[in-house]
Amino acid sequence: MNKLKLLSILFLTLLFTYSCNNDDTTAPLPLGDYENGYFITNEGPFQNGSGTLTFVDDDGTVTQNIYKTVNNEDLGNIVQSMTLYGDRAYIVVNNSHKVVVANRYTMEKQGTIEGDDIQNPRSFVAVGNVGYISNWGDASNATDDYIAVVDLLSNTVTDKIPVGEGPEDMLVDGDVIYVNLQGGFGQNNKVEVINIDDNTTGTPITVGDVPNTITKDASGVIWVLCGGKPSFTGSETNGSLVKIVNNTITSFDFGDTDHPANLSIDGNQLYYNLNGKVYAMSTTASELPTAEISGLDGFYYSMTTNNGKLYATDAGNFASEGTLKVYNLATNALETTITTGIIPGSVVFQ
Amino acid sequence: MKIRIVFFFITVVAYAQNDTIHLLDEVKLYGNFSPAINSGYQVQILTDSTINSRQQSLGTLLQNKANLYFKQNGFGMVSSISLRGSGASHTGVYWNGIAINSSLNGQTDFSTFSANSYNRIEIRKGGGSILFGSGAIGGAINISDQIIFTRKKETQINLALASYNTQKTLVSSQYGNQSFYAKMVVEGKRSDNDYPYLGTELVNENGNYQNYHIKAVLGYVINSNNQLHLFATHSNNDRNLSRTLTASSRSKLKNKENRLLLDWKNFGASYNSSLKLAYLNEEYNFFFNKASSDFSFGKSNNFIVKYNYTYFFNNTLSIHSGVENTYSTANGTNLKNEDRNNVEAYLLVHQKPLKQLRYNISLRKGFSSVYEIPFIYAADLKYSVSPQVDINANFSTNYRLPTYNDLFWNPGGNPDLLAEDSTTGEIGFGYHSKKITLSLGAYSTKSNNLIQWRPVTGTFWRPVNVQDVSSYGVEFDMGIQHQIGIHQLSLQATYAYTVSKDNTLDKQLIYVPFHKSNAILTYQHKGLTINFNEQYTGKAFTTTSNTQSVAAFWLSNIEIYKTVLKQQLTVGLSVNNLWNTAYESIAFRPMPNRNFELNINYKF
Repeated sequence: MNKLKLLSILFLTLLFTYSCNNDDTTAPLPLGDYENGYFITNEGPFQNGSGTLTFVDDDGTVTQNIYKTVNNEDLGNIVQSMTLYGDRAYIVVNNSHKVVVANRYTMEKQGTIEGDDIQNPRSFVAVGNVGYISNWGDASNATDDYIAVVDLLSNTVTDKIPVGEGPEDMLVDGDVIYVNLQGGFGQNNKVEVINIDDNTTGTPITVGDVPNTITKDASGVIWVLCGGKPSFTGSETNGSLVKIVNNTITSFDFGDTDHPANLSIDGNQLYYNLNGKVYAMSTTASELPTAEISGLDGFYYSMTTNNGKLYATDAGNFASEGTLKVYNLATNALETTITTGIIPGSVVFQ
Repeated sequence: MKIRIVFFFITVVAYAQNDTIHLLDEVKLYGNFSPAINSGYQVQILTDSTINSRQQSLGTLLQNKANLYFKQNGFGMVSSISLRGSGASHTGVYWNGIAINSSLNGQTDFSTFSANSYNRIEIRKGGGSILFGSGAIGGAINISDQIIFTRKKETQINLALASYNTQKTLVSSQYGNQSFYAKMVVEGKRSDNDYPYLGTELVNENGNYQNYHIKAVLGYVINSNNQLHLFATHSNNDRNLSRTLTASSRSKLKNKENRLLLDWKNFGASYNSSLKLAYLNEEYNFFFNKASSDFSFGKSNNFIVKYNYTYFFNNTLSIHSGVENTYSTANGTNLKNEDRNNVEAYLLVHQKPLKQLRYNISLRKGFSSVYEIPFIYAADLKYSVSPQVDINANFSTNYRLPTYNDLFWNPGGNPDLLAEDSTTGEIGFGYHSKKITLSLGAYSTKSNNLIQWRPVTGTFWRPVNVQDVSSYGVEFDMGIQHQIGIHQLSLQATYAYTVSKDNTLDKQLIYVPFHKSNAILTYQHKGLTINFNEQYTGKAFTTTSNTQSVAAFWLSNIEIYKTVLKQQLTVGLSVNNLWNTAYESIAFRPMPNRNFELNINYKF
């Protein structure tokens, strides 16, 4: 009897408090704790552990492990990438063979995309109510790689588009999706083009060896950065920056032993990382830059740009927390250094 | 004064004479693990009755009975040792005196090594590279078969049924007389190993395993000065690699090992020698996807010639020497046909200048076709303060040579790697009476040039001699025997405090718990034996920054045996993880819940 009484009082109090709050609120309700700022995806330790998400609020507050804090469950093993789309976040968890769907503002879990049709997922893009997930399939099999087509209303795979080995980064451009075929554990040299009207692939575009990142500039030109084959393969090739206009390519070749990575674009400047240095190149330039941007040196695990700032992560020894460095690209000054989770693999902006 | 000196001399001689006979026999039987030439070390010995009480892996046996710490990737999965906070390849593992750590990765998998049917396991903590060679930085473990020429004819059948649909079978037969000895063992084990992950909906998927081992031991007395010993084993392990809390698995690992050893022992009144010829072969096949026919593999062969010679100058002084040549080859998916030849030699002087004091001084040097083998030296001593109390101390320099994977793994292998080196010192105190034994020891080790695989880029890693580690710790052991009429009670308790720090980071190494403790309470009455085992493993860090850890846990096991039918039949029941504790050895890889085993042993 006493308990029941207590409960009813509690209930009434809550109801009262809730209505009070509602009455008092005049400003728009915040969408969630993670509305303003950016995320860092941390792969987490390989094999025995879970990846995490770090959130950096616009006011500078850093919160670690936000997904687990909100949902009280581990995200999974090797958080590969995250894409924000609509009001959702699609978090690709490579070695747990799933894509976790969460509310992008509150990080509350909405569901998962998983099953036999998600094997070694790498990245996610979407058009309308359809999602596309690049999958390696069995990592030791060169011929079972595919793009899973997902109905985002039910989070189920409706189709699989076979592609060449090692699909990685994707880019939506009108009614096509470009897919970098980086090569998985091996090396590839193509960009697959998917027609989203009928989910078919045309002839892939041959680019340089090991295309690692892809982006589009304001004039609609597609840029693909290719790392080249690393020396340990025994058949080292140079890296290259490839410009694609109407399926015709122009290639800017790096030195024989140069292997650039992490292409991104900010305004009309392309940025990439090479030999521990950061370079910028205008989208209208006719040759590769010769001098680096001084002050931004580092062998970064991932690097991207956004609104005049450079975000570069360092995975350290891969067995403990990494760091993120944020530079102001106007002054090339280091603005802040943030401790991340284990193996920070990407930065994603709200 | 004169009289006293003479008297003293006589007693020393008398005592030492006794000691020499003892020492000769000891060296004959136990080689480099004989307690005498390890005066300044604690050599813990597990004998037949402890080893063969039930069928278990070497790892489970040593964890339960010897307080050793293992990193287990789930039950039945790869299990590696960390002795005194050292790395998995820093414990030398020996099979009848022959080093058997993998030439590929420098480690022994304690989960697939079956302890059954061996007669004696010696555990020698502390640096031991001089007597044992590469890798014996944290310590050395020898698993041996004893050949004893007495009249014996015995066959043993052991059957066990355990949780998770586990079956174990062992048949062992021995025959012996004054000049001949033969033993043959066949054993097999299989398990679904699909235990539930406590507190989750998950089970240990893809964790099933099966294995079998065959062993033959032969001994022949040529004459009173010569004996031939032959040992052969074949083992075959086939297991799937289980999932983790966050990732499923479809992988599979198959291992095969063959070992052959011929030992010619020759001895006289003042010397003792042993010529060993050994062939070791190992092979693994790793299937990333067990349903696929694609797999990667690695294999190696070792051809070893080892000669040990001991000469007793007089009753108090002896020299012990050895020379060893190892030629090995390796190849695999990531190794092109590689080979190397190492020749190493050591010399040890043992002296007992006083009744109360014995000491050893030793040194070792080797040469290799692929790297430089350091010159190392050591000294140890034992001083008896009274018949009950002694003090021991040792100092040694040690090394570990790079493995095939470190040197030649493609991609990444670094052929320019140097040997890892380590310096260690220890002091201990022991008390032993009829009912109580106590020992307390402290050690300190500094290891340099430890090989670590470091990222060059995110996907390309390369081993380099970069890590410097300082370890120190305290170990305490206690044994109490108590008898009330025909009821026997004994308690063995041990505790180890271990600090092992990466000097660059100034942090504790990952997977080295500060605290580890073990207690075994045994009750015996007529044919009944009850063993209660309680273990504590302290929390261990899982990140090099020491920010995350795998939780500490208590674990209780109980074994109850009853021997009937004139000692011929033993029926045993064991309960592991008695309180159904959720625990992990390696993070995200849960260990089994409460489980049972019924064991029947019949001897005739």
